[in-house]
Amino acid sequence: MKSDLVSVRWTVGALLLVAIGVNLNQCAPADPKFKQYLVEGERLYVAQCSNCHQVDGKGLRRVYPPLAPSDYMDQNFDIVICAMKYGLTDEIVVNGNSFHQPMPGVASLTQLEIAEIATYIYNSWGRQTGLVEVKRIASLLDSCKSVRDYHQ
Amino acid sequence: MKFTKGMKLHYSKLVLGLVCCLYMACTSNHRLPILGERFFNGTDTTYHTIAQFQFVDQDSALVTNADFKGKIYVADFFFTSCRTICPIMKAQMVRVYEATRDMPDVLLLSHTIDPEWDTVALLHDFAQRLGAESQRWHFVTGVKDSIYKIAQTSYYATAMEDRTEPDGFIHSGAFLLIDRHGRIRAKYDGTKEEEVNRLIGDIKMLRREE
Repeated sequence: MKSDLVSVRWTVGALLLVAIGVNLNQCAPADPKFKQYLVEGERLYVAQCSNCHQVDGKGLRRVYPPLAPSDYMDQNFDIVICAMKYGLTDEIVVNGNSFHQPMPGVASLTQLEIAEIATYIYNSWGRQTGLVEVKRIASLLDSCKSVRDYHQ
Repeated sequence: MKFTKGMKLHYSKLVLGLVCCLYMACTSNHRLPILGERFFNGTDTTYHTIAQFQFVDQDSALVTNADFKGKIYVADFFFTSCRTICPIMKAQMVRVYEATRDMPDVLLLSHTIDPEWDTVALLHDFAQRLGAESQRWHFVTGVKDSIYKIAQTSYYATAMEDRTEPDGFIHSGAFLLIDRHGRIRAKYDGTKEEEVNRLIGDIKMLRREE
């Protein structure tokens, strides 16, 4: 009887923890840091990316690829991050269409700015990836820089 | 103050005049001005027209003034590797292209200002990817100086090389509306949606002119 009561207590406790966890997760988008990244990311996207990819992320015909939606973007996070700073000249296939207009990188973008743009584009147009940390961007940029240097 | 019979007549004339004015304002077609210098020779007026040109389009076809004879066209200056205003201009020009789809007398003429990079093959690919039909939208290249000269002296548009610019060129984002007689009728900022809306409206108005 006593052990039953203990197990009930444990179950209730565990359920409570799960509930709190779920709740915290739902609160994540309201995180001020996340919000700030989203706002700054949108501003940077409009200034640096939207000329070609358009403000609504739809791209332009088969010249500038779309981001909304884009299976390529969903599957190639690392390449997308590298492309922002170092450009992309390979032919790519997005939603079944090939694109080869060379994308110039924006060398002046900082790691923080890239994290902000990534947070914006990976949490817009139906995506909910959550905050993209600067640390992750820093290590990604290091690896793509070495790949680039190797090819040059 | 008393109203006399004469004053009443005066008032009714005024009202009639106002009604006429309103009627005319509503029904008369607003005409686009003719831009540029003009010369008077007795009773004749000669207007500024686009000079003779000879360029090559995305199909390697020769494109000259003769191809635009009796046609209305929209001209602009761009280059494919430009990352500043040209992509916006091209998105807007696609809108003009779509809006004039059923107007065989309306053509588009995009000049590259970077003929060394923008070869015929590259322009062909670019045009095709934009979904542009060569018969209606010519992407032309040619001798660099001829392109810059026609931009500046015929279309009054800025186009030149400048190594200090991020992409190596300075150029205006202007769209020029040219009438059937090769005269410039209006200039628009090709990077602004509302200006391009006005251009689309003006094309329809210009088509109604004799």
